[in-house]
Amino acid sequence: MSYRVNSEFKSDLKKFGIAEQWNECFHCGNCTAVCPLTENGFLFPRQGIRVMQMGLKEKLATYVDPWLCYYCGECSETCPREANPAELMMTLRRYLTSVYDWTGLSKKIYTSKWWEFGSIIIIALLIIVGFLIYLPLKSGADAMVNQSGSVMINSLVEGISAGQFVRIIEIGDWTMAIIVAALLISNILNMFYKVILSDNAVKVPFGTYFTEFWRLIYNFATQAKFSKCDDRNYWVGHLLLMTGYSIMFALVVIALPLFQIEEIVPWYNWQRLLGYYATFGILFFLIQVTIGRIKKQDTKLKFSHPSDWLFIIMLALTTITGILVHIFRLNGMVEATYYLYIAHLAVLVPMIVIEVPFSKWSHLAYRPFAVYFSRLKKAAVKKIEYQRELAPAI
Amino acid sequence: MKKIPVTGVYFHYYTNGHAESINFLETENYIKKIPGVIILGNSNELPPIDKQLFIKKIQELHIERLVIAGYSPGMVKTFFTSAMLEAGQDAEKVLIAGFNEYGAIKKSDTELAKIILHFTIAGLSLDDISTYSKKPVNENTLVIGGGIAGIQASIEIANSKHKVYLLEQTGTIGGHMAMFDKTFPTLDCAACILTPKMVEVGQHPFIELMTYCEVIGVTGEHGDFKVKVLKKARRVDLADCIGCGICSEKCPAKTPSEFDAGTTLRKAIYIPFPQAVPNKYLIDAEHCIYVENGKCGVCVKVCPADAVILDQLDEEVEINVGNIVLATGFSTFDARRAENFGYGKLPNVLTSLEFERLVNASGPTEGNITFRTIDKKGNPIFTNDSKSPQSVALIHCIGSRDLTYNQYCSKVCCMYSLKLAHLVKEKLPDAEVYEYYIDMRAYGKGYEEFYERIKGEGVHIIRGRTAKIEQTNDKLLLRSEDIENNRLIEQLVDMAILSVGIEPRADSNSLAEMLEIVTDNYGWYIEENSILNTTNTNRPGITLAGVCQGPKDIPDTVVHASAAAAKVIQNIILQKTKKAIDKVMLSEIETTLKD
Repeated sequence: MSYRVNSEFKSDLKKFGIAEQWNECFHCGNCTAVCPLTENGFLFPRQGIRVMQMGLKEKLATYVDPWLCYYCGECSETCPREANPAELMMTLRRYLTSVYDWTGLSKKIYTSKWWEFGSIIIIALLIIVGFLIYLPLKSGADAMVNQSGSVMINSLVEGISAGQFVRIIEIGDWTMAIIVAALLISNILNMFYKVILSDNAVKVPFGTYFTEFWRLIYNFATQAKFSKCDDRNYWVGHLLLMTGYSIMFALVVIALPLFQIEEIVPWYNWQRLLGYYATFGILFFLIQVTIGRIKKQDTKLKFSHPSDWLFIIMLALTTITGILVHIFRLNGMVEATYYLYIAHLAVLVPMIVIEVPFSKWSHLAYRPFAVYFSRLKKAAVKKIEYQRELAPAI
Repeated sequence: MKKIPVTGVYFHYYTNGHAESINFLETENYIKKIPGVIILGNSNELPPIDKQLFIKKIQELHIERLVIAGYSPGMVKTFFTSAMLEAGQDAEKVLIAGFNEYGAIKKSDTELAKIILHFTIAGLSLDDISTYSKKPVNENTLVIGGGIAGIQASIEIANSKHKVYLLEQTGTIGGHMAMFDKTFPTLDCAACILTPKMVEVGQHPFIELMTYCEVIGVTGEHGDFKVKVLKKARRVDLADCIGCGICSEKCPAKTPSEFDAGTTLRKAIYIPFPQAVPNKYLIDAEHCIYVENGKCGVCVKVCPADAVILDQLDEEVEINVGNIVLATGFSTFDARRAENFGYGKLPNVLTSLEFERLVNASGPTEGNITFRTIDKKGNPIFTNDSKSPQSVALIHCIGSRDLTYNQYCSKVCCMYSLKLAHLVKEKLPDAEVYEYYIDMRAYGKGYEEFYERIKGEGVHIIRGRTAKIEQTNDKLLLRSEDIENNRLIEQLVDMAILSVGIEPRADSNSLAEMLEIVTDNYGWYIEENSILNTTNTNRPGITLAGVCQGPKDIPDTVVHASAAAAKVIQNIILQKTKKAIDKVMLSEIETTLKD
């Protein structure tokens, strides 16, 4: 298999990242040697730098290594050329997200702030306007407070019953979930095609797909690879976020009729306990990462791409509006509850619709799948053949 | 007045990291007044400007000559020569006014920058404007530093029958070369080629050896320097000492030997090594029990020649010389700084210098390569009782080519590492030897052939510098990427040798300050011209020899020292001195121009 050197690629890639010292690399191999996650067959970050420097786009598309990196930053810290290999891995992840995305939106969102913020704002406006027109606040809604003094959240809209309101929101949730899932799954299939099917060196035995499948679930649930990085604090924060958000997502999509109920149940009921755990998990992550990104002391959080900040801002807004809805409800503030509920949806929906299939959040699928695919690749070829193929004199 | 062709001046503001730079604006304003000079702009970018616009400007203003001013404008010269060519002008007419080279660095050097710029614009060289004084040149020369560079320069100058004071900080001449076991690429025994030269220095009628001395002040100028020298108390009379060694035998105080790079212990009264010149004992006051608390004095009692003078005091002497040769050499990179390699914590991680001593027949184990162990008192030592390693790794570029430490290549490590690999194979033919390198720099006559020879000896030469060393049970674990074979290797070895780079000596900056010469960001002395004149400094009469100017191997050092000697001899014969550039006045340039 031959590859064509593309010297333009470096400048194309610049738009996906913010540190651009990668050309400083003189290939001493230090970064790969300090990496706690690299292994034979998947040697990164140095090979990634080489592939980037040579602009081997076709090869990059088959390349899962950036997803196997969890950005502990040790390579960047010890790099004798200060070439910042860890940031390259991050940038390649953004680039690969745009490669897997067949709609082309991902590239636009990553490389243009107008697209990035614009798409979020448009969806947010659609939600707000749609709500105000089709689900307006009921006249005399002030009375929708139950005996305990909390707001009956499902009965605030003009002309429909509480049951109908929940139904409408539920349908909306499911529609969103299905669209997002469809986009994400199609992108993963695209990734599968590029990483496994179009890599001539790989012929995966059919059984391997099943014998290695557990890794997908296991890595999704635990992020075990992340925990191998030296500083495990970020792994903890990330795990809290992942479990917290997953629980919240399940509560508002699958279990909405059980979660969004008129009565405020006592705090020890499962809905509230799960909700509080989720809120704690997300807040923990938010505080940890925001402080880190502002301080810029840990290599991991030194460089912040607009998409990184957007993720934090949207997540923070979702969390804050969600908490406020809860507080306003408890205190019987009807109007405030209604408008904050709209605001909550107006950040939550665009965040999921834009970030999950097209941007930073897509890694929730790509990372575990990359681990799975890497095992398939490894099992597929005899080691020596594989290594020879992987290295056209790199 | 000589007519100046239409000269465009471009300022390259790149300050090379100097915090308080010279005043560029003031300099610009000054040269604006010179007739025929046009300021073309300034920048600190690379490339400096839009080329097409610049070419247009050259054509519109009919610029015939271009002067680029700045700290190191040489780095952008190619841009301007090609711009001049494309503008239809002569590419030869691009002149460089480099402030750094002449020592104009700080804000207070702005006046000097003006002078540099002015004579460059006028088309003159430094030689043209630093007029010769008529004072005679003192025929004596001071050589500072008694390593191979100082030895070579001294012999060359002294052979022309001019007196040389060879000043050395330690008790003997010889320097680093005396510590080496073999030299590359011929594998000559270092001591065998060095000691005859040392003896020659010791016996030369025109060389006055001043060991255990330091320069503490220099006044005067080229042709007539007055140098204040601190003669540190040796506490053993050089004339009386017969070198029998009984004093050392009986001395109770022990400390790591500098000559053996800390691999052995020496006494407080000692001779640095058996072939030392002068071959006389001295007392290390820092470790002498008598100096510390007035008790002991065993050496005085046992000395058969009554040569020990325990209460001797430091002495100051002044010498007059016409020229000074700086040959202060280097120190090796402190491997403790690169913590990931565990030097200082893991006993069998050695520096290359320690290994040179270990493998040397006069070293701690008579040349047997053995494990380092900890003795009863907790000192790490090499003894013949411990076993020999079965696998040895050499790691290149420790402290070199690394922005965390020194960005430059130390130039000697690749070759000496290959040499050490050979020595391991020679002493332990069954041992596996691994070399981890970034790029193999086997430049020079016979070097590439030497590299091929070592490869043929079965040494595993692996591209990919090791990232860290960890102790696992009784072995060392090295993790590295084998770049050429596309794999990750975790190699267990018994012993690891760190190929440490070379650095300016810790006192290089203070010495430079005393001598009023300039150093670069690392502390290497800056030469007048990095290509055509690497021996002269910004101060006339002070000449550089050897590594103090920048990393060199032994053959290069010897050549450089001879070149420095040639400059000195030439100067003594011609009896001409130059003014230092900062003593040149602007008015003098104007006078020269009128002539």
